[in-house]
Amino acid sequence: MEYVAQQVINALSFGAEYALLALGLAIVFSVMGLVNFAHGEVIAVGGYTMVAFAALVTANPLIIIVGAVAATAMTSVALERVAFRPVRYADPTTGLLTAFGVSIVLQNLFLLFISPRPIAVTSLYFLDAPVMLFGVQISSLQIFESVTTVVVIVGLVLFLQKTTLGLAMRAASLDFEMVRLTGIRANRVFALAFLISGLLAGLASVFIMARRGSVDPHFGFNPVLKAFVACVVGGFGSLPGAVLGGFLLGAVEVAMLVLLPQDYGGLKDAFVFGIIALVLVWRPDGILSPAREKGDKQ
Amino acid sequence: MLDIRDLHVFHGPIEAVHGISLSVGAGQCVALLGPNGAGKTSTISAICGVAQSSGTIALEGADLSKASVEDRVRSGIAVSPEGRRIFSNLSVEANLRIGAGVRPDRENVARDIANWFETFPILGERRTQPGGTLSGGEQQMLAIARALMSRPKILLLDEPSLGLAPRIVAQVFQMIDRLRSEGMTILLVEQNARQALKISDYGYLLNNGRIQAEGTPADLGGSKDMMAKLTGLG
Amino acid sequence: MTLTQSQKRGFFGACMLAAILIAIGVVTTFFASNYQLRLVYSAFVNLIVVLGLQVFMGNSRLTNLSHSAFMGIGAYAAAICVTPVAMKQIALPDAPWGLNAFALDPVTSAIIALIVTGIVSLAVGVFIVRMTGTGATIASLAVLVIVHSIFLYRTDIFKGNQAFFGIPQVFSLTSIVILAVVVVFIVRGFRESPWGVMLRASADDETGAAAMGVNVRRLRLIAWVLSGLILATAGIAYAYFLGTISARPFYFNHVFLTLAMLIFGGMRTVTGAVLGTFAISFGLEIVRWLETGPKVIGINLPELLGLSGIMLGLVIVLTMALRPVGVMGDREIEEVFSKR
Repeated sequence: MEYVAQQVINALSFGAEYALLALGLAIVFSVMGLVNFAHGEVIAVGGYTMVAFAALVTANPLIIIVGAVAATAMTSVALERVAFRPVRYADPTTGLLTAFGVSIVLQNLFLLFISPRPIAVTSLYFLDAPVMLFGVQISSLQIFESVTTVVVIVGLVLFLQKTTLGLAMRAASLDFEMVRLTGIRANRVFALAFLISGLLAGLASVFIMARRGSVDPHFGFNPVLKAFVACVVGGFGSLPGAVLGGFLLGAVEVAMLVLLPQDYGGLKDAFVFGIIALVLVWRPDGILSPAREKGDKQ
Repeated sequence: MLDIRDLHVFHGPIEAVHGISLSVGAGQCVALLGPNGAGKTSTISAICGVAQSSGTIALEGADLSKASVEDRVRSGIAVSPEGRRIFSNLSVEANLRIGAGVRPDRENVARDIANWFETFPILGERRTQPGGTLSGGEQQMLAIARALMSRPKILLLDEPSLGLAPRIVAQVFQMIDRLRSEGMTILLVEQNARQALKISDYGYLLNNGRIQAEGTPADLGGSKDMMAKLTGLG
Repeated sequence: MTLTQSQKRGFFGACMLAAILIAIGVVTTFFASNYQLRLVYSAFVNLIVVLGLQVFMGNSRLTNLSHSAFMGIGAYAAAICVTPVAMKQIALPDAPWGLNAFALDPVTSAIIALIVTGIVSLAVGVFIVRMTGTGATIASLAVLVIVHSIFLYRTDIFKGNQAFFGIPQVFSLTSIVILAVVVVFIVRGFRESPWGVMLRASADDETGAAAMGVNVRRLRLIAWVLSGLILATAGIAYAYFLGTISARPFYFNHVFLTLAMLIFGGMRTVTGAVLGTFAISFGLEIVRWLETGPKVIGINLPELLGLSGIMLGLVIVLTMALRPVGVMGDREIEEVFSKR
């Protein structure tokens, strides 16, 4: 019983992390149809910022966390300006390939100017402490993660439903030109989407760092792959889909760890991606994909 | 109010409008008529800045032809586009709020929304429903209301009667007539020439990207030959 | 068989490309050092990969990210068949199904490798071609990850990241040049074939093409499987020359490298694939030399690890921003010359 409870909590906290990651991708995709592969490198910027703050500024974890989130938010907005603005209205493939390019450039910049080797940050270890909750031993990190994700989702929902800019972002996912025709500036909507995406990347980077303890140029690669999978399963461009996909992926991963015999552990990714592929066969555009009409008029 | 000189509109390599000039005086309702493919919607798109064009587009004497889409709307142009383009995933009320996205005066926005719900009780009843669930006529009303939420100087109406039942069409034209009588400046694009001319002060007849004729409704509607052209049979 | 006007021009264009490839081969054979010869050989392998990628991406306009995996399948399948039993007993002592108890000649092995890759790509393709733009791309990414983790996991068959050695080195530069020339003709032939023409038309207007009775999925599947076979060919050529393979070169780095080549040259044309491959292969070699921190006019440059990656990424970003259709755009080589 205890074992089951533990695994359920594991699945939920993995799911929470994936949902956080997937939302960062989905919010940009929903507004501009861009599959932002460079999201992982934004997360890595968060990791390196923590290194820099811990080494040069302070050991106060709160300041380190705030610094990392601020850095990822700024990086994300800067990337929109520099790299993604020229391909803003281009077809999705052009955007995707641009994002690949940006991702490769950033990864190699880390390699060139920082280090190819992992750098450790120890100031966040305290986040990951064992806690007893209703007789089940879990990690405090899992609680932080789940709570943060819930807060983020609630905040995002409120923002998207209550504020004009939030409404405009939802409208933009359907008909961006019409949003411009109401006078709301496209630049602001895009910048905002990337800002939110960057904030989410920052939060994710904190949790990844707390778990892993070090950062290297490939810091964001695996997380962003997972985020992709979550988005695809949920339906690309759908924010509820991203959340659903994230939790589903968490559940599948934990189930694989539990159910697969020990010596099949190396095939976990293959199974996870295989299940993803099956979901796509069943619903080629994901479970909660927003309806899109095909036709000559955009 | 709105003065257009020598407007050419391009869709990629194709020129859809070949140098037209037209003007809309303050408080006037001007009809832009013509058959399918005449270049009416291209003209509207060019005025809004979403189509590539050359020539001058001046609003109250200020040239907007180099301005961005957003700046044009901010300087006083609003559009109810062809196909209405309601944000179908958002509530009726949210559609109106986005329409007022450029306005800083929150209280007045709320009051304007309340006024629209009074004018169109059906929109009020469905304020929380997604815009996509409205009927065609209701969507058209919403599209016009959304455009007017920005308190524009001029309202561009692109084919407001398209695809609507005759009874609803009459309602839409009634509404436009009322806006005009309240002093709104309107550029009305229509295929439905007879109805449009009834509520217009002046009309232009567009065909194959050129202005074929212009004049008061009496001038345009007078000759049989002209009416044949207007209905697209000439 | 009568050829259409564009097919005749296509044949002519393919001949011009073939002449260029042969010229590069001849110059390399006579003037290059051993090290340079290996570079040119790997450029030719990448050329075949990029051509394989072009067949699918250029005609269907869907982005594929799994191509390096298919190259890997071809390479491993051929390697397992062709490697002598004595070698395999050392390299793969625990291989199941008697995989280490037989050896075939290189031609039979290559044919088996083509058949195996063809079957796998058909099985995957059936699903891929049903998806729309982004979905297909992500699904292909999933294929890449799945195949790679199988390579890594079944060390008893593939040796994972360790070297699978002992493959007979039966290929020379001459063989790969001939192979590349043949592939150029196949790829250009497909582009101008009724299938290729219809597929390109459907990419521009899927709804319209479907309305005209074009079975888009079937056409995409044909292009996908053809692409898989060409990629397998590249993998076989790679294994037959080096004699050693491992899982690492069939993963993300190679995916990006070859994708950058195709994008830079222009994915819509065969000429673009050829141009992009050689431009980036040779460009990168210069950058790699800078990376090692060489001495230039008496000044010691610092070591710049990562510079080649930055350049590669920049090439993609700048191409997308400034000329998304690549250098060649919609023009094939013969059109460049005939318009002068």
